[in-house]
Amino acid sequence: MPTLSTDPLPLPPTLRPSSASSSSALHSSLSFLLRRSSPWLSRRRCPAVACSAPRSVAPRASRGSSSSSVIVGDLEPAADPGVAFDKTFPIQHSAKVEGKIFVRFDQQNGENWVLTVGCTVPGTWILHWGVSYVDDVGSEWDQPPTEMRPPGSIPIKDYAIETPLEKPSTMMDGADCYEVNICVQSNSSIAAINFVLKDEETGAWYQHRGRDFKVPLVNCVPDDGNVVGANRGIGLWTGALGQLSNILLKTEATQEKPESSSCLSSESEEVRCIEGFYEEILLVKEVPIQNSVNVSVRNSPDDTKTLVSLETDLPGDVIVHWGVCRDDSKTWEIPSAPQPAETIAFKNKALRTLLQPKQQGNGASGLFTVDKEYAGFLFVLKLKGDSWLNCMGNDFYVPLPSSATDNQGEARSEGSQGHGMMEDHKEVSTTVYTDEIIKEIRNLASDISSEKSRNAKTKEAQESILQEIEKLAAEAYSIFRSAAPTFTDEAPAPEESIPSNISSGTGTGYEILCQGFNWESHKSGRWYMELEGRASELSALGFTIIWLPPPTDSVSPEGYMPRDLYNLNSRYGTVDQLKVLVKKFHEVNIKVLGDVVLNHRCAQYKNSNGVWNIFGGKLNWDDRAVVADDPHFQGRGNKSSGDNFHAAPNIDHSQDFVRKDIKEWLCWLRDEIGYDGWRLDFVRGFWGGYVKDYLDASEPYFAVGEYWDSLSYTYGEVDHNQDAHRQRIIDWINATNGTAGAFDVTTKGVLHAALERCEYWRLSDQKGKPPGVVGWWPSRAVTFIENHDTGSTQGHWRFPSGKEMQGYAYILTHPGTPAVFYDHIFSHYQSEISSLISLRNRNRIHCRSTVKIVKAERDVYAAIVDEKVAVKIGPGHFEPAVGHQRWSVAIEGNDYKVWQAS
Amino acid sequence: MEVSVVGNSQAKAGLATSRAVLFRPRIGDSSTFSSKSRVFTGQSQGSKRGKGGRRLSSTPVRVEEVLRRSLLSPSDVESFRQPDKVRLWVGLPVDSVTDGKCVNHARAIVAGLKALKLLGIDGVEIPAWWGVVEKEGRGKYEWSGYLALAEMVCEAGLELHVTLCFHGYRKQQQPVIPLPDWVMRVGEDDSSSIFFTDRSGRQYKDCLSLAVDELPVLDGRTPMEVYRDFCESFKSSFSAYIGSSIMGVSMGLGPDGELRYPSLQGCESSQVERVGAGEFQCYDRNMLKLLKEAAEACGNPLWGLGGPHDASGYDKSPSSNRFFKDKGGSWESLYGEFFLTWYSNQLIRHGDRLLSLASSIFGDSGVTVSGKIPLAYSWNEIDSHPLELTAGYYSTVNRDGYEEMAKMFAKNSCMVMLPGMDIRDDSARQLLGQIRAACRKHQVRVSGENSLLEGDIEQVKDVCTADDIDSFFYQRMGACFFSPEHFPQFTAFVGSTKRPRPHPDDIPKEEEERAEESLALTSDSILQMQTA
Repeated sequence: MPTLSTDPLPLPPTLRPSSASSSSALHSSLSFLLRRSSPWLSRRRCPAVACSAPRSVAPRASRGSSSSSVIVGDLEPAADPGVAFDKTFPIQHSAKVEGKIFVRFDQQNGENWVLTVGCTVPGTWILHWGVSYVDDVGSEWDQPPTEMRPPGSIPIKDYAIETPLEKPSTMMDGADCYEVNICVQSNSSIAAINFVLKDEETGAWYQHRGRDFKVPLVNCVPDDGNVVGANRGIGLWTGALGQLSNILLKTEATQEKPESSSCLSSESEEVRCIEGFYEEILLVKEVPIQNSVNVSVRNSPDDTKTLVSLETDLPGDVIVHWGVCRDDSKTWEIPSAPQPAETIAFKNKALRTLLQPKQQGNGASGLFTVDKEYAGFLFVLKLKGDSWLNCMGNDFYVPLPSSATDNQGEARSEGSQGHGMMEDHKEVSTTVYTDEIIKEIRNLASDISSEKSRNAKTKEAQESILQEIEKLAAEAYSIFRSAAPTFTDEAPAPEESIPSNISSGTGTGYEILCQGFNWESHKSGRWYMELEGRASELSALGFTIIWLPPPTDSVSPEGYMPRDLYNLNSRYGTVDQLKVLVKKFHEVNIKVLGDVVLNHRCAQYKNSNGVWNIFGGKLNWDDRAVVADDPHFQGRGNKSSGDNFHAAPNIDHSQDFVRKDIKEWLCWLRDEIGYDGWRLDFVRGFWGGYVKDYLDASEPYFAVGEYWDSLSYTYGEVDHNQDAHRQRIIDWINATNGTAGAFDVTTKGVLHAALERCEYWRLSDQKGKPPGVVGWWPSRAVTFIENHDTGSTQGHWRFPSGKEMQGYAYILTHPGTPAVFYDHIFSHYQSEISSLISLRNRNRIHCRSTVKIVKAERDVYAAIVDEKVAVKIGPGHFEPAVGHQRWSVAIEGNDYKVWQAS
Repeated sequence: MEVSVVGNSQAKAGLATSRAVLFRPRIGDSSTFSSKSRVFTGQSQGSKRGKGGRRLSSTPVRVEEVLRRSLLSPSDVESFRQPDKVRLWVGLPVDSVTDGKCVNHARAIVAGLKALKLLGIDGVEIPAWWGVVEKEGRGKYEWSGYLALAEMVCEAGLELHVTLCFHGYRKQQQPVIPLPDWVMRVGEDDSSSIFFTDRSGRQYKDCLSLAVDELPVLDGRTPMEVYRDFCESFKSSFSAYIGSSIMGVSMGLGPDGELRYPSLQGCESSQVERVGAGEFQCYDRNMLKLLKEAAEACGNPLWGLGGPHDASGYDKSPSSNRFFKDKGGSWESLYGEFFLTWYSNQLIRHGDRLLSLASSIFGDSGVTVSGKIPLAYSWNEIDSHPLELTAGYYSTVNRDGYEEMAKMFAKNSCMVMLPGMDIRDDSARQLLGQIRAACRKHQVRVSGENSLLEGDIEQVKDVCTADDIDSFFYQRMGACFFSPEHFPQFTAFVGSTKRPRPHPDDIPKEEEERAEESLALTSDSILQMQTA
C-alpha cells in the first residue's frame, strides 16, 4: 500500500525554478519537499530540513530587502492620500493539533485492573462506553455495574455510560492530557469493555477501525478486528463519526508498546487470560484559527508604478502566489520585473514570493511593485504543509488604480471606487467564507480541469480525495447502519434478529444439540459410564447441549414408560453414575437436558376394578391424576387437554396437585442431578400452557418439546404445502409462550420428500422461505433428521438412507437449533458433521440467522445464510453469485456443497 | 449550428448532436468535459457554466495528511482512464422523506452526497412519492421535505433527477409507502373498482388501474387530472431548481413505476428464483368494459367476456395450461391475437397519456422526461414469452412488442429507463438487447439501472461503455451501499466509467505521455467505430 512516505512523487518539471538563482532554487525545492509531505512526517523524518529552512532564508531576505524594492514596516493606513486601496481580509483556516488517544490496561493489585483511556489533544472529551457480559453472546453493549462507573458518569439509555475525561495531576509529555480510569474486577462476569471517544466541542466520535474500541477481558470474545491490545497492526477503515472533515486519525503511525503482561486463570468457567497493554493511536484535530491579511495599494513615489503591500499575522513561512490582470476577467499574468526577492515563476502564469517575517511579533509582509498598465492584483496564500488560503474559494483580488489616472485627484476617485467594489467583496466574505476542507477538495475534484487550478494535483491530490471519500463513506455507513428503524436496507427479520438473552426457548441462540443415546443404549446397563468417556469428544466436536435418555424407573427399559419419578436408577445406570455424568458434561461446557415424560405415567397399583391407575413412590397419586377420557384407565380427572397416549394412564395436568408435584420434581432434578433443561416427551398429550407453568417454575436453560404428528398427504403423496402441519407445532410453542422450542418435524418430513423424490423445489415454501417450522419461527425450531424413534433400531420414519449428510448440510447451515443424532455422530459421517459444526460456529450462524433461498428446483436447492454461508444440496448445479462477497468452497460432499464468504 | 436545439427537448435533434459531440477529441479540450447529455439541455448549460465558473478557484490542493491505509488503492485511481461516457446517478434512499416534512437520515445523506460528489458522480435520483406528498388530501401537497432534500443535493454540487412515484412501495409484501390515504379510501368502496384486478378478483393496491385514467373516480376528478395537478405542483414548488439542478424527471407509469401490468401481484417478493408467468390483470370492472367494447367492435362479442380462460396461474408453470403452450397454444389463435393486441395497446396508450402529460408540463423547461419499462425476461425460452405477455408487452418469439413502446417514447421525446442491467442471465441480456435495438431504431435515448447492489457489476461496466446508454442510475444509497464490502466495489466501478481529468498542465511528464497514448488509443477505436 503506497503512502506518502513510501511512494515519493517525482518533482513535476514545471516546478523547476527557472529564473531564480541556484541558492533559492535549492530552497524552493526544499520547501517543495516539505510541502509534499505531511507535517507529521516532515517533523519526524526530516527535522533538520524543517528547522534549517527558515534560517537559511533569513540572510538572503534581508539582503533582498536592502537591494531592491521590498520595504518592510513603513506602511501607512488609508488616511495617507497616496493610498488608493486599503483593506483587511479575514482569513479563517485551521491548524492541526496532534496528539494521541491512549488506552492502558494495568493490573493494580490482585483481581483489580484499571483501564485508562486518555487523550492528549485539547477538547471536551467524553468516554461513551458499555460492557458486554460473559453469558450474553449476542448483545454487545450493556450498562456496566454501578460500582464500575467513575464519578460524573451519566447513563445513556440502558446500554451505555458517558464519563467525561479529566485532567489528571500528572502531565504526559508535558502536554495537556485528559483521561478516565475504569476499575475492573478480573473475576467479574464482564467479557469486554466497549467504548468510543467523543469530542463534545466538535461533536466528533472516534472509533477504532470503524467500530467501537473493544477491550476483551475474556479470551473468547470474537475479534471483529476492533480489539485493542491485540498484537497486530492497525489500519483500515478508521472511520470516525460526526464532523470528520476536521478530524484526522493517523492510525498508520500507531505505536504498540505492550508494557506488561500477566496471565491469570480464575476459577470461573471461562478461561481468563488478561494481559495488560498500552496502546496509542495518533490523531490530529483541526482547530479553527482566525488570521487576516491586510492589503494596501498606493502609487510609487515617482508615480510610475503601483505599490501593493501585503501584511499578515499568519505565523511561519507564508508564500504569496500572485499575478496581475488587465481587466475584469481576472486572467492571471506575470508582471514584468522587478520582482521581490524570494520570487520564482510558477508555470509562466504566476509568481511565488516568500513573505518576509516581521521583525517584531508574528507575521510577515511583502511589497510588490506593479506597472500601471494592470487593473488588478491577484493572489492566494500558501502555508507550510500545502494549505492554501484564498478568499471564499476565489482568488484575492485587489483592484489597482488604472494607468489612465495619472493625476492624484482621479486616482483618489478611482480609489474610492475600488473601495466600493471591495465593500461588496467584504459582504460576500463574511457570509460565504467557510473554509471547509471538503469544499476545497470538492472544488478541486469538480474543477480539476480548470485553467486556474494549476497545482500539481496528480496522484497526491487524488489520494487525498480518495481518503476523503472513504471517510465520508464510512461516516454515511455508520449513520445509516445505526439509524432508527427504517427499511432502507435488509428488511427487519420477522422477529428479533440478534439473540439478546438466554431464554429457555433458545439457549444462547448458538446451541448445537446432541441426542446422546439411541434405542439400544439401555442394553449395556452402563450407558452413563460409556457416555462419560465420550464427553470430551462431544465437546470438541462443538456440541453445547446433550440430551440424555429418560432417567426414571420405567416399565419399559428405554425409559419412556415412567413409574416412580423419584427413582433414578434405570437401565442406563444408577443415580450416582448419572450425577457423575452430568458433572462431567458440565466440566466440558456442555449443558445437559433430561428427557422428562410428563404426559403419562405407569401406575403401580390397581384400583378396585382391577385397572392400573394408582401410583406409587413419593408421588402416590390416585385416579384423580388420570384423565377421564381414556376408558382403559378409568381416570377420575378432567378430560385430556391434548391427544391421548394409549399405552399408559395419561396425566391430568389440570389438577393443581399434579402440577405442584411435577414442578417440585423438575426442580429436584435441576438441583439434585444438575440437569440444565428438558427434552419434553409427547407434548401433544397436554396443553402447552402447562408446559409454560413447569418451565417457569424449573427455569431451564433450554427446553425442547416433541410435538410429532403426521404431515399432510394427498393420495399418499406428501403435500408441498405443510403449513397446517407446522402451524400445529407453532401453536404448541405459542401455548408455551415461547418458553420451549420444538423439534421441527415438518422440516424432516419435507427433507424426506425432497431427497427421496429428487424434488428439491419442496424446500422453498410459497413465500420463498424454508417450508418447516424453521421458516416461520426459526429461533424455536430444533431441527433434526433422525432420533431414537424415527431411526435407530426402531426405524419408524427413517431418513432417506445414504442422504443423511445432505440433511445435516441443511440443518447445520440453516437457522434453528440443530440436533445431531448419536448414531450419526459415531459413524463414518463424523468428520463431515464435525466440519459442518465448526463452519456453523466459525460463521456465528445462530437460531435466528437469515436465510435467503436462491434456488429451489427439481434437483438442487441453494440458500445463502446471513450472507456469509452458501449451501446447496442435491445433484444439480449451483454456484453462488459473485457479488460483494467472494465465496470459497468450505465443505464438499455427496450431493452437497458449502461455501463461505471471504 | 443547431441553435434551434437549445431549449427544445426533441430527442431526434438532440441525439444527432450528441453523436457529433461524442466524436470530438476528449483530452486537452476543456469543452468536451461536459458530457454528451448536456447538449440536450442546452438551455441550462449556460447556468451550469456560470456556476462552474464561480467554483473555478485557484486554491485547491489541500492535502489531507491522513496517513492510513486506503481502502481504495491508488490503482483504482490509475484505472480512471476511460473517456467520459455515461452520466452516473445514484438513487437516494427510498425513505429519504416519509412524512412530507423532514428528511430521514439527513446526516448520513449529507456525508454520502459529499462522497459521491468527490467521486465525480453527476447527480442523485430522488423518488418523490404520491403517497407522501399528497397524503393529506387531494391538492394538499407537502413538498417541504423534498425541497430540503433538494437543497442538500444542490449544496453538495450535485444534479437532481426526480422520480414522480404514482405507485406505492412495499417491502416483504408489507406496504411501507402506500398510495395517499384519500385514494385508498376511494378504493375501499368495491364499486369504485379503481385497482388492477386478476381473474380471482384479487386487487393490486399499489397503483391505479389504467382503465380509470380518464374516469372521474377520485372525488370527481380523473386520475389523469390528479397526476397533472401533482406534476404542476411539483414544477411550481421546484421552479428554482428545474432546468438548473433538476435536469430530469421520471414519470411513474405503473407498478414499481414501470410501464406494465402488475401481472405478478402477490408473487413479487417471492425469493424463489422462478415463479409462474403471472396472470392477466384485466378483470377490474372498467377494464372489462373496455374489453367488451373492443370485442364488440371487432364483431366477436363473446371475446369480451373476460381474459383468456386457459392462462396458467401465478404459481403454475406456463405450460401447465393451454394459453401459453409452445405449438398450438391459444396465444397463436385469432382470439389470442385479439386479446393480446388489446391488452398491450391499453398499456401503450396509458404510457402515452402520462408521458405526453409530462412532456407538456416539463418540455419547455429543459428537463428530460423519462419512463421506466420492465425487464420481463424469465420464461422467454417459451415461444409465447408468457411473462412479457401478462406484463402487457405483446412480444413473442415472432413479434417484437417493444417497437410500439419505443415509438410512443419517441413521440413524446422521452427517455427509456431500463432496469436489470446487472442481471447475469442470458435471456435477460437478450431482452435488453432487443429493447435497446428498438429504442435505437426510434432514436429513443436509454438510461440503465441496476436491480441489486449485489448484481453483476462487470456487466454494468460493459453496459456503461455502450454507445446507446445515456446515463446510468445506480440503486441505491443506504447502509449496504456504503458498507466496506460494497463501497470500494462501487468506486472501482465509477473509476472504470468516468473520471475527472486533470488539466494537462498538471499531469507530470510521464503521465502526460501516457494520457496521450490513451488518447491515441481512444481516437483510434472511435475511428474504427465510425468506419465499422
